[in-house]
Amino acid sequence: MLISYNWLNEMVPVGLGAYELAEKLTLIGLEIDGVHERDGDVIFDIEITSNRGDCLSHLGVAREVSAYFDKPYKLESQIEETPSITDRVSIEAPDLCYRFTSRIVRGVKVGPSPPWLVERLEAVGERPINNIADITNFVMHELGQPMHAFDLDSLNGRKIVVRRAAKGEKIATLDEEVRDLDPSILAICDTDKPVAIAGVMGGLESGVTESTADVLLEVACFDRDSIRKTSARLNLSTEASYRFERGVDIENLVKASNRAASLMSEIAGGDPQEFSDEFPSKRKAVSVETESLEREFRRLTGIELTDAEIEGYLKGLGFEIRGASSFEVPSWRHDVSIPEDLVEEVARIHGYDRIGEALPPSRSAGEYHHLEQRKRRLRTALVAAGFDEAMSYSFVDGAAASAYSTVDEMRGDETPLVLINDPIIEGANLMRPTLLTGMIEAVHKNFNHRESDLRLFEIGRTFRGLSESSLPEEKEMLAVVLTGRESFENTSAAGRAYDFFDLKAAVETAAEAIGIRGLEFAVATEPRHLQVGQSALVRFRETIVGAVGRLESTLADGYKFKQPVYVAELDLSFLLEEPESVAVYKPLDVYPSVVRDVSLVVTENISLSKILEVVSSAGFENFEKATYVDTYTGEGVEEGERSVTIRFEYRSPERTLTDKEVDQVHSEVLSSLESTFSARFR
Amino acid sequence: MSDEKQQLEAIRDSFEKEFDRFSDALKDGFRGMKLSAAEKLAKELGEFRVKHTGKKSPISGAMKLIGRVAPEQRADFGKTVQSVRARIEGRIAETEDSLKSYIRSAKTKREAVDVTLPGRRVRSGHLHPMTLLRHKIEDIFVSMGYAIEDDREIETDHYNFDALNIPVGHPARESKDTFYTTGGFALRSQTSTVQIRAMERRGAPIKIIAPGRVFRRDTPDQTHTPVFHQIEGLCVDTDITMAHLKGTVSEWLRRMYGEETKTRFRPGYFPFTEPSAEFDFSCFKCSGTGEFEEAKCGTCRGSGWIELGGCGMVHPNVLEGCGIDHKVYSGFAFGFGLERMAALMYSLDDIRLMFENDVRFLRQFY
Ligand SMILES: [Zn+2]
Repeated sequence: MLISYNWLNEMVPVGLGAYELAEKLTLIGLEIDGVHERDGDVIFDIEITSNRGDCLSHLGVAREVSAYFDKPYKLESQIEETPSITDRVSIEAPDLCYRFTSRIVRGVKVGPSPPWLVERLEAVGERPINNIADITNFVMHELGQPMHAFDLDSLNGRKIVVRRAAKGEKIATLDEEVRDLDPSILAICDTDKPVAIAGVMGGLESGVTESTADVLLEVACFDRDSIRKTSARLNLSTEASYRFERGVDIENLVKASNRAASLMSEIAGGDPQEFSDEFPSKRKAVSVETESLEREFRRLTGIELTDAEIEGYLKGLGFEIRGASSFEVPSWRHDVSIPEDLVEEVARIHGYDRIGEALPPSRSAGEYHHLEQRKRRLRTALVAAGFDEAMSYSFVDGAAASAYSTVDEMRGDETPLVLINDPIIEGANLMRPTLLTGMIEAVHKNFNHRESDLRLFEIGRTFRGLSESSLPEEKEMLAVVLTGRESFENTSAAGRAYDFFDLKAAVETAAEAIGIRGLEFAVATEPRHLQVGQSALVRFRETIVGAVGRLESTLADGYKFKQPVYVAELDLSFLLEEPESVAVYKPLDVYPSVVRDVSLVVTENISLSKILEVVSSAGFENFEKATYVDTYTGEGVEEGERSVTIRFEYRSPERTLTDKEVDQVHSEVLSSLESTFSARFR
Repeated sequence: MSDEKQQLEAIRDSFEKEFDRFSDALKDGFRGMKLSAAEKLAKELGEFRVKHTGKKSPISGAMKLIGRVAPEQRADFGKTVQSVRARIEGRIAETEDSLKSYIRSAKTKREAVDVTLPGRRVRSGHLHPMTLLRHKIEDIFVSMGYAIEDDREIETDHYNFDALNIPVGHPARESKDTFYTTGGFALRSQTSTVQIRAMERRGAPIKIIAPGRVFRRDTPDQTHTPVFHQIEGLCVDTDITMAHLKGTVSEWLRRMYGEETKTRFRPGYFPFTEPSAEFDFSCFKCSGTGEFEEAKCGTCRGSGWIELGGCGMVHPNVLEGCGIDHKVYSGFAFGFGLERMAALMYSLDDIRLMFENDVRFLRQFY
């Protein structure tokens, strides 16, 4: 909101330059967003918090300045007039209209405003219209009370009815839009139709024009919620609705009306006549009761003030002291109702800077979130392995996301996903069930920037469970993606092209970093985003925890990816709840082992894990372990077959084995492989 | 006698003659000799040494001549033989040493590398700036006795609004600002929700920090993203005052930005605190002067202060709603946005980059 320094200074001269004053205003809670100079004036752009509707005028700011500097503020003199009761106004919706004053000003000459008025309005960013409209705007900026001038002759029956609009009623407003009304909207009407939308905007037909002779000036107070809803419903926010939503001073209506009427008389030559004040149920003053405000103040600020000091500050702000324990809140304040509010009032005028600084008593030892240390290790390990950490929005395009299988789906769980209303990003209406959409988007964007060697990971939440009765489930996932070639620090030389096993390695690195050892990988066809044949389900102790593999080709083609992209997603919430594996010492071997390498040729569908499982579970004597060496296809191996080299190790805990002993058991191992897998040996 | 002397002289002469090629090389300091030639020469010198000092060498043979010399001249002759032998051995050894050191230095030279070539290492990854900042802040608060809390991102209206004393009808509750699921739940619009759940779970006293994602229906632009991160702090105990709030926020910011950092508290408004304040800290770029490199400081727009977050004393309605007696306990809470803090720290002019995962951006942080 714009406040003119000159205007303010007339109301409450405190002998401070504009910039010093701006600093003080900030310190008492009127935050200055900007200061600019204008024709010998300085304009403050003040950010008024939504609870301080009372500060949306020069009077409002002057009251604050007056309280802080303990100097009185003054208002321009104005006509005083006893209300004369007429039957011109009737309030049919007293729940939405608390008070309505009307005044007839006869014989006005509508024309341009005098220069001083134009200057004031322009200083606060208002465009001059005509003297009558300008006066209403001026008084709003001066006293904070919005008001509206009607052309009396345009009102049917020359009467005002304040009522809810009927269904189907329409009004053309001053901005030349035709608006549909309904019973949720409070309308100012004449005897047969709405002539203004209460508290928001006047009607086009009933407005003051150059031919207007007699004016009906409305100065009223409406229900804050009702105005807010109307403004939202019509998507129409005005200076008036902004103030009514935040609350005006219901006890200030007559003064505001008098002020405007005086100006109409002075500037437009009008004659103020009949006045009516409909105030169906008088306002009940709000009082805050507290046993000892001094004690309350000390309890919350640590500052000791005397009762007299506290009362001094509150009186300065317009509070009435009713005995030692009751404080009557001024009619313009809508934000004070409990002792803590009074504490804030006293504290901000006394000065937040006068509150001390201390550390609270320490009763507890600090603690990280119980999963944080493991997550930090995970991040550290992935970063060391060359992965950059990504972070994506939590909502994604539902159609794009459907291309990916979630870990839950792989477990056979088809719980519905979480949708949001009115997405802010077009199409992004789904709370992500997987991190992979974001990761693949990231790959796509980076490819567009010619960054083709990527290793990325994200740790983030996924959501599922659409229901009105229970909150969705939130689960933390780890996604890993890599594509392109190995790259090195400080050199442009590219290394090896990544393949499936780089991804698998990354997943194992990640799991080990959080103390999870022994992930199992099995051929999978379920994940629809992975290419069959380069797709594996990941299990930990029988539970499916994710999938790894190469991005399936139609999906990749959709993004026009020209190089393979490998993706993995793991259920981190599950893994982090699993206990960490703990090292167990095994005595060092006393006798040497005997090693035999064997290359066996098997059909392609025989997996390494099957081979190892068969030899490891057979219980051969002195057999210690079998480990993978390498795989070979090519000369000497038929198509559809491959040669797998495996190292067998034999050891006895009691003695050094002889070659003869080893040969004997090794040949049993080989014949077992031969018969189980129809393997031959190279 | 003269016979023997002559023989000895002949031995010496033949040594000198044969040794010439080595001594010539030595005189030049082996200059320019290739390493392979030097190694060959060393090998030859080894053979030469065996030939001239070994058991079968002429000088070893000369030892036998000593016996033939008249007894009264024997001692003198013996000395002469010994000195010839010593000279032969000495010259060979001297040359061998020089040659060895020449070879060693030639080898060293050959093995020299360009130490400015890059170290051999796989490219390192980078943590996201949000993570880096969060870790730093968490570490500070843990060291100050706070527990780190984490909780739901999708919440009921109760936790997102009611329990935070945000009344029905408050603008923040409108779907204009808050995302809602089709099931009617809110995507939390502030991490203050975690305060409530933590107070319900832990009761008082309590000292927690809650970092997390929050959601507001802002169209993405340079300073807004519909998803962003906040950190919320809460301390409830007996006799907690605004001085503790100021002390805590100030201490944290000093640990974050240095001992000289000043903080400023201004009255503010939040439904869940009363009294409420906004806090600013002295600009780390211009040390609060408003001027940097003789121009208006861009970080604080010349004010010397950077606005960071909101805080206040926990509203009695919030405490009571969590079953904490506000007559016995009081507390403070504060909150701030991480993206804004990071943008300031790194002079970042577009916070949308935080969520774009452009590696040219991500790889700048460590
Ligand atoms: Zn600065």
